[in-house]
Amino acid sequence: MIDLVELTKLYRQGDIDVTALDRVSLHIDEGEFLALMGPSGSGKSTLLHIMAGIDRPTSGQCLFRGVDVAQLSETALAEWRSRHIGFIFQTFNLIPVMTAAENVELPLLLTRLRASERRERVEFALELVGLKDRLKHLPRQLSGGQEQRVAIARAIVTDPELVVADEPTGNLDAHSAHEVMGLLATLNQTHGKTIVMVTHDPRAAQYGTRQLHLEKGELQHDTAQASPAEAEA
Amino acid sequence: MTLAGFMARNALRNKRRSFLTIASVALSLFLLCTLRTGLREMTNPASMEESACRVAVRHKVSIANVLPAKQRDLIKRVAGVASVMPLTWYGGVYIDEKHFFSRFAVDPAEAFRQFGEMKISPEHRDAFIKKKTGCVVGIKTMERFHFKMGDRIELAGDVWPCDVALEIVGTYRGGIDETILFFNHKYLDEASGNRGVVGCWWVLADRVDSVPRIIAEINRMFRNSDAEVLAESERAFQMGFVSMLGNVTLLIGSISGVILFTMFLVTASTMAMAIRERFREIAILKAFGFRSSDLAGLIVAESLLLAMAGGVLGCGGAWLMFRLVPIDTMTNGFFPIFEVTPGIMAQGMGIAMALGFFSCLVPAWNALRLSVVDGLKILD
Ligand SMILES: Nc1ncnc2c1ncn2[C@@H]1O[C@H](COP(=O)(O)OP(=O)(O)OP(=O)(O)O)[C@@H](O)[C@H]1O
Ligand SMILES: [Mg+2]
Repeated sequence: MIDLVELTKLYRQGDIDVTALDRVSLHIDEGEFLALMGPSGSGKSTLLHIMAGIDRPTSGQCLFRGVDVAQLSETALAEWRSRHIGFIFQTFNLIPVMTAAENVELPLLLTRLRASERRERVEFALELVGLKDRLKHLPRQLSGGQEQRVAIARAIVTDPELVVADEPTGNLDAHSAHEVMGLLATLNQTHGKTIVMVTHDPRAAQYGTRQLHLEKGELQHDTAQASPAEAEA
Repeated sequence: MTLAGFMARNALRNKRRSFLTIASVALSLFLLCTLRTGLREMTNPASMEESACRVAVRHKVSIANVLPAKQRDLIKRVAGVASVMPLTWYGGVYIDEKHFFSRFAVDPAEAFRQFGEMKISPEHRDAFIKKKTGCVVGIKTMERFHFKMGDRIELAGDVWPCDVALEIVGTYRGGIDETILFFNHKYLDEASGNRGVVGCWWVLADRVDSVPRIIAEINRMFRNSDAEVLAESERAFQMGFVSMLGNVTLLIGSISGVILFTMFLVTASTMAMAIRERFREIAILKAFGFRSSDLAGLIVAESLLLAMAGGVLGCGGAWLMFRLVPIDTMTNGFFPIFEVTPGIMAQGMGIAMALGFFSCLVPAWNALRLSVVDGLKILD
């Protein structure tokens, strides 16, 4: 589904170039659950951002189903994201003045769906993350784990093909992290979502079908899990 | 839920700040409307249709110079002149300066014919003509001092070196100023020793069309005489009178400018703060695929909404307040009317709109250009 070809990202700081990504080439299949690991500053977020179409590489290609995302115009790219990508962030990023249901509904405002259809989808997504009884709750009335589950519902409500998650368990305790990871695994296995996740937590990485390590912008070893079920055991 | 509804809720998220923004815009616009109205009432006195037929004749040197009474017959003979009368500012002091209202000596037989907009009953008019010490007092002054018919009013002379003791024989309503006291010019003549002088001549033309010709003829008639005159339309006279107020216009203009500028700084910094706080959210919305231009548009709309709310409160508040508060009595008749006109309110709303628009331009532009990645790096 995704082909990265010699992807390079440079940041110019004064006279020196910081190489965030150094000729990264990678193929991701439909239905994979990729765990991106690596030390801080190794370029994980940068890579994720480029794949999700919110950042552009300095050189190289990022092909999504054969389309070079980096070549799209700003407007086309925004439209492309709304169709294909679901976002999950470390800090949840729910909007504090909106209820869980309204937060989940937000990405649907970009579609042509009618209000009743939107409501159905929102309820379905929240049911999927086990929070159907929290529709009317505001983010501050939810625990961190619940907030992240609402964020997951928001990421999948538009039924995107690719879900990207940057340290989704970074702000959660072990128990909530376990819940959230279980949810992502379900999305991957039962609903066939392709997931790319950045994480520092080796235990979280175990949920992936494949682990990748970045080191100073370069791709290291590539470990394919035999089966995600084993990791959960 | 719609995106606009979402932004509207966002706008009111920080209730105290929204309230303070609206309140400061409202207060400034209230002030602006008040200043504009004051300026308008001073420089552009309300006039009525009736006034278009009237011509004021004063001494060419200044309004303080008197004119000889003998001019009256000459003016009367100008074709198209329907009525001539003396109109002399008596001034004087009633009790003390605080009890101010305008007092003029006029010809009782002509006054209410010329000032047709001031309505007086025939009985009062006749009494005014008959009684030499009689006076007619506008309804507002009657009410202000609780005067009754037959009350005596003693005025101490200031401009004129004589006191007068008058008796109220009538009252009038209507016209742009309902506070004036009129008394008989003959009484003033006698009290001041029959010097045969008047302050001004007030002339009524038979038709509006004849006014320019009458003005020209009167001006020509007394050229090179010992009392050259300046005849002009009543309206022009009033405006000229106002120019004696000096640079009030300039002063009020600069005060308004300062208010506007301060208000702009306040709203601009508030908007900048309010939007900067939401940069991260804006970045997230962009990541979801919301277009930058739509988001910037909503920011502008939000800012406009706040500023217009302030505008409505400020302009509407000024309008309402000056309807309810008796500015006439509070200013001792300096402002006989104080009307926040639709024009002034429209101007105020225009200013509010411009304010809302310009104060959010920079933050909206920043939000528009904000890259998703940079926005995500902003910590809450
Ligand atoms: N806007 C920027 N300007 C300059 N350098 C940047 C910028 N953004 C990222 N970098 C650099 O690029 C490199 C990769 O950053 P990135 O955020 O991808 O790291 P990361 O692997 O996600 O780290 P972490 O685990 O701490 O989130 C770092 O060295 C960082 O300093
Ligand atoms: Mg990172």
